[in-house]
Parts: sequence; C-alpha cells; structure tokens
Amino acid sequence: MSRSLYRFDWLMFFAIAALLVISCLFIYSADYRSGGHASGSLMGRQMVWALIGLGCYSAVAAMDYRKLSSMHWWIYLAGLISLVLVLFIGMSVYGAHRWFSFGGITVQPSEFAKLASVLTLAAWLGDPATDVERLKTFILAFVLAGVPFLLIAAETDLGSAMVLLPIVMLLLFCAGVPLRPLLTLVGAGVAALLVLIVWLRFFPDSCPFLTDYQKNRILVYLNVNQDPLGAGWNKLQSQIAVGSGGLFGKGYLKGTQNILGFLPRTVAPTDFIYSVVAEESGFAGSALLLGLYTMIVVRCMRAAVVARDTFGRLLAAGVGVLIFSHVFVNIAMTIGLMPITGLPLPLMSYGGTFMVSTMTALGLVQSVYLRRRI
Amino acid sequence: MRIRRTDRHYMPRIVLMTGGMLLAFLVLGISLWRLQVTNMSTFENRQQIQSLRRVRLPGIRGKIYDRNGLCLADNRPVYSIALFLEDVRRAGPWSRTVDGAMEVIDKVANVTGLKPEMDRAGIMKHIRLRLPLPLVLWNDIGPQSMARLAELGHDIPGVDVYTQATRIYPYSPYTSHLLGYVGRADPDTMNEEKNYSYYLPEMNGRAGLEKLFDPFLRGEAGGMLVQIDVSGYRHGELAHRTPKAGGDLKLTLDMEVQLLARKALGEHKGAVVVLDPNNGDVLAMLSAPGFDANRFVPYITSKDWKLLSEDPEKPLLNRAVAGVYPPGSIFKPLVGLAAAMVNPEALHTVYDSPSVFRIGRRVVHTTGHGEVDMREALKVSANVYFFKTALACGPDIILRQALTAGLGKKTGVEVDFEQSGLVPDEKWQQENKKGWSDGDTCNLAIGQGYLGVTPIQMAMLTATIANGGYLYRPRLVQAYREPGSDTYSPNPEDRIGKMSWSDAALATVRGGMHDVIMEPDGTGTRAAVDGLDFAGKTGTAEYGVKGEGDKQTWMIAFAPFDNPQYAIAMLIEDGNTGGTTVGPCLKILMKGLYEKMKREGRLVQRSGVGRQESGFPTIGKNKNDFSNHWKKPEVLS
Repeated sequence: MSRSLYRFDWLMFFAIAALLVISCLFIYSADYRSGGHASGSLMGRQMVWALIGLGCYSAVAAMDYRKLSSMHWWIYLAGLISLVLVLFIGMSVYGAHRWFSFGGITVQPSEFAKLASVLTLAAWLGDPATDVERLKTFILAFVLAGVPFLLIAAETDLGSAMVLLPIVMLLLFCAGVPLRPLLTLVGAGVAALLVLIVWLRFFPDSCPFLTDYQKNRILVYLNVNQDPLGAGWNKLQSQIAVGSGGLFGKGYLKGTQNILGFLPRTVAPTDFIYSVVAEESGFAGSALLLGLYTMIVVRCMRAAVVARDTFGRLLAAGVGVLIFSHVFVNIAMTIGLMPITGLPLPLMSYGGTFMVSTMTALGLVQSVYLRRRI
Repeated sequence: MRIRRTDRHYMPRIVLMTGGMLLAFLVLGISLWRLQVTNMSTFENRQQIQSLRRVRLPGIRGKIYDRNGLCLADNRPVYSIALFLEDVRRAGPWSRTVDGAMEVIDKVANVTGLKPEMDRAGIMKHIRLRLPLPLVLWNDIGPQSMARLAELGHDIPGVDVYTQATRIYPYSPYTSHLLGYVGRADPDTMNEEKNYSYYLPEMNGRAGLEKLFDPFLRGEAGGMLVQIDVSGYRHGELAHRTPKAGGDLKLTLDMEVQLLARKALGEHKGAVVVLDPNNGDVLAMLSAPGFDANRFVPYITSKDWKLLSEDPEKPLLNRAVAGVYPPGSIFKPLVGLAAAMVNPEALHTVYDSPSVFRIGRRVVHTTGHGEVDMREALKVSANVYFFKTALACGPDIILRQALTAGLGKKTGVEVDFEQSGLVPDEKWQQENKKGWSDGDTCNLAIGQGYLGVTPIQMAMLTATIANGGYLYRPRLVQAYREPGSDTYSPNPEDRIGKMSWSDAALATVRGGMHDVIMEPDGTGTRAAVDGLDFAGKTGTAEYGVKGEGDKQTWMIAFAPFDNPQYAIAMLIEDGNTGGTTVGPCLKILMKGLYEKMKREGRLVQRSGVGRQESGFPTIGKNKNDFSNHWKKPEVLS
C-alpha cells in the first residue's frame, strides 16, 4: 500500500482537489442573491457530488484498468442503450431529451457514453489483434465513435457530441495510424467548416443541416452585435463579466454581472461558472484555473507516456483529450472565441452526472499511472 | 503481452499532441489577458452602462426675506407617498408586478382614506421610463393621511413617504410682481442632462427676482448612483451626493410698508413706490391688481394662464416699473428747478396765471389763479404760471434735467420688465421728425404731451428732491447670503450723483410742495395727516382722446418734511384728480407711516440746521433756510 501511495500521482490529485474546492466556492457565489443571503443548497449538493466523485475516483484508481479491457464491448453497448433509452423515456427540457430522472436526481447518459466510447476505442485500438495501419481500422474507429455521436446529436446536444470528434482523431493519431488519411480528414473537416460559415454568412435562411437554434448560435458567434438581447445575450454578458474582472477581479461574492442577473441565473453555476470566477477573481483567478487544467491534462499525457500497455496509454491520452476538449470549448465560449455550446466545465460546473463521469475518467488515468512500467 | 510494432512511434506523437493542447491553452491565456487586462476598461464601461443609472437630485432653492427677516419666498416640504416597485416585483410578465402595485395602492388607500390616483397605465409608464425611481402614488398628502400611514401602514411592502420641496410665497398677491415666480425647470444645459439617466428637475425663476437672481438662488444639484438589476429594478444605491441650498436674498422691502401701500390703494388700479430717500432703498413697491404667484408653482394650468394674461385689468403688469404714464403736474417741481438753473430770479418771478391762455393760435382753458410766484404756483398747481416759466427758460434745460434726474431711462432697480419711459429730447425729436413748438413746451411744463414716466422714476425724482439733490439708484436687494455662508454680504447702495440744483431753488420747490399738503388751499390737503409735517404734489394727466376724461391721477410725497425718510409716488389709473382720488389714499399710507415712525422713535423734532445721524441733511422749512454741508464731488447738470 505504501508503495502504491508513493506511485500515486499526487500532483494531479491536488489539482483535482483544488478545482473541486474552487468549484464549491464559486457555485455558492453564482447562487448568491441580493440581500446578502444565498441558499447554499446548490453548493451543498455540489459538495455531495464532489464526495461521490472522489469515491468513484478512488474506487476506479484502486481497480486494475486492464480488467476493463475484456468487457469494453459490454460497456460500449450499455452506453448506446442508455442513449437510445433517453430518447424515449428521458425527461424533456426545452425540447431536448438529455436526462433520465430517478426520484429527483437527473442523470445525463451522454457523459457516460462519451467515457464509454473513449474506453472502447482505447481498448479496441490497443488490442494487438487490431492492425492500426489498415484503412479498415481507421473507418471502423469512426463508426464506433459515430454511433454515439449521432445518438447524442439526436438529443439535440450537438455541442456535446462534437467532443467525440477530436477524441477519435487524437486516439487514432496516438495509436499510430498512418498520417495521410488522418490529415486528409482534418483537411476535409476544416474545408467543410469554412463552407458552412461562408454559407451561413451569405444565405443564413437556407441551411439544410442545422436547426434554427444551432444556426442562431453560430450566427451570433460570427457577428457579435446581432440580437444582443436574444441569442447573443449570454455571449455578450459573459464577455462583459470576464472583461470587467480586470487583473484581480471584483472580489468574492461581488460579481455584479451575476448578482444583478445580467449573467442568467440558470447558466451562471453551470455552463458559465468560468465567467463568475473570472469576474470575481480577475485574470489572476482565471489564469490559475487554466493552470490547474493544464496540470491535469499534462499529467494525463504523462500517464500515457509511462503506461504499461497500449490500452492504458490510449485510455490516459483519451481522457486527457476529453478533459482538454471540454475545458477548451467551455472557456473559449465564455470569452467569446467560439459559438455558445452547452458544454460544461469539468470539475467546476454544477451538475452531478458530469462530476461523477469526469472523476471516474480521472480515476482511470490514476489507475493507469499507478500500474505504470517504471 | 505482445509489444506492438507501432509502439515505437508513440512518444513523438504524444509529445506533439501535448504540445498542441498546451498551445491551445496558451491561446486561451492570451485571450484572457487581452480581455481582462488590456481591454478591461471597455468591458467595465459596458458593465456600468448597463447596470448603473445616475439620478439628478434637484438643488434646494435659496429664500428671499424682507428687510426685517420676514420670509417672502420660502420652501415648503411636500410629502408624497411613494412605492418602491422592487419590493413588489413578481416574476413573469410586467402585468403581474402591476397587479402587486395595485394591491399595495388599495391597501394604502384603505389605511389613509385617500382616493387612488395612480392607474395601471400610469404604473406601466413608470416601469417603462423610470423603473429604478420610486413611483409617487399620492402627491402632497395632508398630515392626517401621513399620521394614518405611519400608524397603520408599517406592514405594507415597499411604501415610503417621500419629501420634496416646493416654492411658496406667503404674501403672494402683494409681492408677486417683485418676486416673480418659479416653474419646473427644463433641463437647461444639454450637456448636463446627458450625464444623467434620470433628471429630476428643480424649480427655476420665470419672472421677477426669482428670474433675475436665478443662478444665485438656485442650489447645487445633488446626485445618486443607482445600481439596477437586469430587469431594471433598483438594486441598491452606490453613491449619494446631497443637494446644496442656494443663496438667500435680503430685500430692502419692508413688508409692513408694503401692506400699508396695499391698504392705501384699496380697490384702485395703480401703483405705489416708497423709497428711502437717504439711500434709494425700495421700501414698498406695489402694483394693483396683483395675482397669486403660488398658482404658478410648479406650473400654471393653461386655463389659469389664459385668465391672467387676457384679463383687461392686466394683473400681470407691474405698473410700478413697466407702466408708462404722463406725469401731469407732478412734473412741475422739476420744471421749477430747471428754470432756476437758467435764471435764479425765476424763483421769485411773479406771473399772472389767468384761466385762458393763448399759445400761438391755440387757446388753452384752465383754472385761473391770478398773480402767483413759484411757491404759490406749486401749491395751487397753476398751469399758466408754468407755461410762462417754461417758455422763458426754453424746453432744453427741462428735458436735460429730466434726463439727468433719471427720467427717460431705466432706473436699474432689480425688477424685470422695467420700461424706460420717454423724455422727448432733441435726439428723439430728430429721430421722430417732430418739430418743436411753443405748444409742446407748454405741454412739457405741465407734464403732458410726449413725456412718459414710470412710478418708480417719479419716486426716484421725489427722493432726489427730498434729500437735497442726491440721485440714488433704487435698490431692492439689500444683502445676499452666499450658499453655505452664515452672514449676509451687503449689496452697497448706489449713489449715482448729485443734481446741480441751487439751495435756493430746492428750498422754493420744497416749500411749494410743503404748502400743497399743509396749506388749506393746497391741492393735496386731502392727504394731510394730523401731526405729520410733509410735502407732496398732485398730478392729473389726461391721456387718450382729448375730452373723453381718461385721466391718470398721481401724487408724489416725502415725509417728514425736515428729515425725509420716505419718498412716495402713487399712481391711480382712471381717477378723477390727483388731489381728490389719490389724496385720501395717500393719507392712509402716510398715517400708517407716521404711526410706524412714532412707534420706532424715528420722529426726531427739528433741531435747527444740522446733520442727522445718518449723515443726511436736515432741510429747513423756510424758503431760504437751506444749508449745504454735504460732501459730494460729482455734480450733474
């Protein structure tokens, strides 16, 4: 035991613990109401979720990740089934079917499905029987990721589904597939994106693939001033919140954008928690947060380097990319670099499912790290 | 486990991946720096624009007092019941908040017994335009409603009593021409308004002293920085600057004299000006009919305005300074003084003053008085005597003296709408291409014709005759107190100069004026007061179409004769004659002044020739007992 404690990645653990503490503090602040009292209930629940997350983290870290290698198809199947089920018996919120409801607790299966996809892809690509140099493997990997992608997109959660794209690409890259098809695909993707943007710019009314809602978000991103009171509101208010924070911020519980309700109260503790931190603690705080995430991502990649086997390496790298994608998209959205997508910030945003799935994923990395070669 | 071939390549690929991700985070970090540090002010500014509202609080207007400290223009608190809408806000459509407000209005109405004045449309308008400000439900509530609200209304949410100041003129109908009035100000400078989200206007002076001294009286506006939430409700007050009070004015006006003048004028239409001949202080200035300036605050209804402005009696006209009238016989003392400047012998010249007088081909019918000298002629107001005197000295000296004595131009008293009147001097004759005939000279001799004067000009002339030739600008403001100061700074008296009248001429003219009142056959005996020795002159001027009997009736007077403390001009429009119409009115005023002087111990018995405490001359009753001890460098001619 003392040996495994010695091998434990304390650096990553401290970064995680620090983020959890900061999360609870700023969810309290985001929930803070005028008149000087906050219910504290959001923070309390987030603390419970954080503790549950820590439990999952410890349990998964203690478990040998290699045991999962043999059951990865079952995990993948379970993920797909939950995604299908949520489409039919899930809770409908504003037309989106993303949640199961179990006696007051809502669970978002897409978060688990994404982790399941990472695990499956890592296990399958890590299998010596899979020849990564063959085009078939390349295509199959996209099919493996494509099924959950389409199911999640069908929940009208395109933003969340999109995260699968960098994951599958970088896992293939990491697994050592030839560069040519990968680069071709990246080139085609970038070209398609450009076509889409140009199309939306000039013919915003006739776009075959996107719903009005998605189209609006992209249009808002393309033009800041379009409809600042409608779809552009959150983006504008989030930018104002972050920008007015300055170097050291307005002080804890003094973020007026949040208190006065300009940053909508429904999103302040969840998707826009980073705005709250940035406004109240300024560049100092937002950079610290970015540093902690960098630490976590770097330690994931470190685990990939020192992993005992390819499965472990791809698992750690996949989790790293998963965390990175969420963090990058969320922060970029918060500061107006990317269109608004409903991607939460790992370990920070209020929400139980995502907390547990993120902690489980990080637990897997710890498990890989504990059982490393050297 | 079999080691895969490709495993050899993983290291550079992982390093590359990590590097890419670090680069992406670096981009975020740089963006954050630019957003939060480089462009902070832009976003801070935007944040303030959307969440801060500047509210201007009106300044507190200074007060105006009479010379004894009686407040003539005061600030009265107005208590209003206001509702802070953020305390009754409800989620959902605005109409739900309006429901909440209506419920509160009903509750307050039940408690106070007031009839609701605010309706749903009014509340919606307030929400649209002034949401962060309290909504005034009832304006100017009485003490009873206040007490009921304080006792029973403490659990009604969001309701508070809100105090504003408004102007009140306690002596209004008698002071309105002088003080003027205030109205709710428009935001005057465009720059100032732009700085405020909500501009609560103050009152600004629209007429009279309120207008002339508006920048001085007007206080300094305060302000309030209100933080609003995303719905526009007031969230809190970030800063508060208390408005400051403006300066106070102390007038030379003596309200007691002003009320006496009011009493003296009775129901007549006219004007009274009472000056202190020793310094030009305006002790009373009244124009009748008057109007209630309180009706102008905070604004006058268009109906009331129409009523006032179209009234044929012209209550808005300040007849004391803006009414131009022919002076009639009250001009004669000046004719006598002017004639004596050309020929000192004129004082003693005796002319026959018959009832028929021929000027060229024109025949004038008037009252006959036989052989009279100047003193006698003044006493009985002998027209023909002054025709002959004026023809002897020529019109130029009379016109020049009239101009020098302050006729034909504004006196500069601190009242607006003052008129200059008209002295038809050479310049005027040239400009209007009027030839000058002996008939014009005769008209001038008895204060008729082209001559036009205002009551204040005549009071000023009377004061100059009373004090021995010193010309003072009539002064209405005695002292002023700067904002924030405890003490008054005097507004110094303004001695314009000294008339170059000889002592003998003054003595003769003053003597004649004395006889007008004090001798049984004087024209002004109806004004005489038992025990008070004073001087005066009557005047009756025809105007309009000759023979229709439209007459302006005048009296000028100064009292006491040997120690003048009051110089008076009294005009009554459409009277009969100066002696019969104005005489009894002047008597009422003089009687009051006499009693006031007695009460205040200011009736000093004449003790020979000498200077009074005030440094002003005692002027003898006898024709030649007129000593000159005064130092005055500047002599006007």
